[in-house]
Amino acid sequence: MNRTSFYEEIRRNKIKSYFLLVIVFLVLLSLVYTISLVAGPDYFFMILIFGTIFSIFYVLISYNSSSKIVLASVKAIKAEQEQFKTYHNLVEGLCLASGLEKPKLYVMKDTQINAFASGKNPKEAIICVTTGALEKLTKQELEGVLSHELSHIANYDIRFMSLVAVLVGLISIISQIFLRSLFFGVGSSNRSEKNNVIYILIALALAIISPLIVALVQLAISRKREYLADSSAVKFVRSPTGLIGALQKIKQESKTNVRIPDAISPLFLVKPYNSKELFQTHPDINKRIELLKKM
Amino acid sequence: MTSLLISLIIAGVLLLLTFFGYYNKFIVLTQRIKNSKAQINVQLKKRSDLIPNLVNIVKGYMKHEKSLLTEVTKARTSFLNAKNFEEKVKVGSELQHSLKNLFAVAENYPEVKANQSFVELQREVSAIEDKIAYSRQYYNDSIMTYNNSIEVIPGKWFASLYHFKKENYFEIPEEEKINPVIEF
Repeated sequence: MNRTSFYEEIRRNKIKSYFLLVIVFLVLLSLVYTISLVAGPDYFFMILIFGTIFSIFYVLISYNSSSKIVLASVKAIKAEQEQFKTYHNLVEGLCLASGLEKPKLYVMKDTQINAFASGKNPKEAIICVTTGALEKLTKQELEGVLSHELSHIANYDIRFMSLVAVLVGLISIISQIFLRSLFFGVGSSNRSEKNNVIYILIALALAIISPLIVALVQLAISRKREYLADSSAVKFVRSPTGLIGALQKIKQESKTNVRIPDAISPLFLVKPYNSKELFQTHPDINKRIELLKKM
Repeated sequence: MTSLLISLIIAGVLLLLTFFGYYNKFIVLTQRIKNSKAQINVQLKKRSDLIPNLVNIVKGYMKHEKSLLTEVTKARTSFLNAKNFEEKVKVGSELQHSLKNLFAVAENYPEVKANQSFVELQREVSAIEDKIAYSRQYYNDSIMTYNNSIEVIPGKWFASLYHFKKENYFEIPEEEKINPVIEF
């Protein structure tokens, strides 16, 4: 088994997630290009501007109030310093290790072990853990989990994923507009009939496929950010043992039922349900444990 | 002619920005080192503040361990009298050592272990010790980032231009590398 340093892991995951972001850009560009070939640049320019404004507006609303929405939807309550001393102490220690400001701490009532972090920048960040995590994990394991969450904050993951969401949203808006406008016969402007049919077919195919592709790429980026948070977590505590222990405990209890809604599951430490990895926001727990053991 | 002038101006501005940028980068990084150093101080101070209380609680129960208690008190006094950072860290680790002894011996006194305030304090001390370790780690990390930035090219050239010098890592006394395990 090759041992890797966490610095190496951090670097690799950063590169991979930026590479995936570039793929999303390329898909966007090729979609833009083919549609403008079919429909003419003027028409297309309009879609692009409209799509961008709409997509940014849509994501900005959720970006600005993401913490509030998610805290309310899981009925999280503030973790008081007196009552949750260990929780506060561990986070304070990790903040010293990472140089971050202390986030606001919350607890949600749930017997399952889980946690999430949110907030658009380190100054307004929050961390929330389940009561199950506080009860079932040892101090070291809880520290590993909290370190993972703090890493999401340190890596600006909410901002990064919001940017991805804007692009993915933009692609799907453009595709929708194009597909609908085909019914009204756009694009029969200045090209020869034969050429136009081919272009329309290509554009049609792209408009149908690209939203699906980028949705999958978006999931892949999310999984890379999870790996990144795992390796950054090791950087802060200088030992993977705690996080490995916590993930193993979660694995054991994962057969039980879940009450966390799908919409906010990407935020959590582990995915709250099971299905194929390609369609997941989180990597497979076994792979994560394996990688952590190498560090 | 004008296009040549414009590109010269742009090049000049970019060059100036690079010079400013490197200077600011070094300042930010040295500031970070200073801050993390201050954090170590804060935590060391917090720990020493807990000691009078701790000694007061234990005093009554552990009559036969006078030397242990005076050792702790003495270590605290010399910490408070320490003048510079290096000295503080050095006597700080002596303090840690004597506290470790105290807690180990306290294990033999069921009345002490049953005392709620003692348990509270012991937990507090252990949390602070974790924080001291973390702030030292961050201190060393900050020095590493800074040193890297002034050793790679072109940072190296700018560093010598602005007279920024390499910082030394924090030396940790041998025995402290073994983490004290305090179980509750």
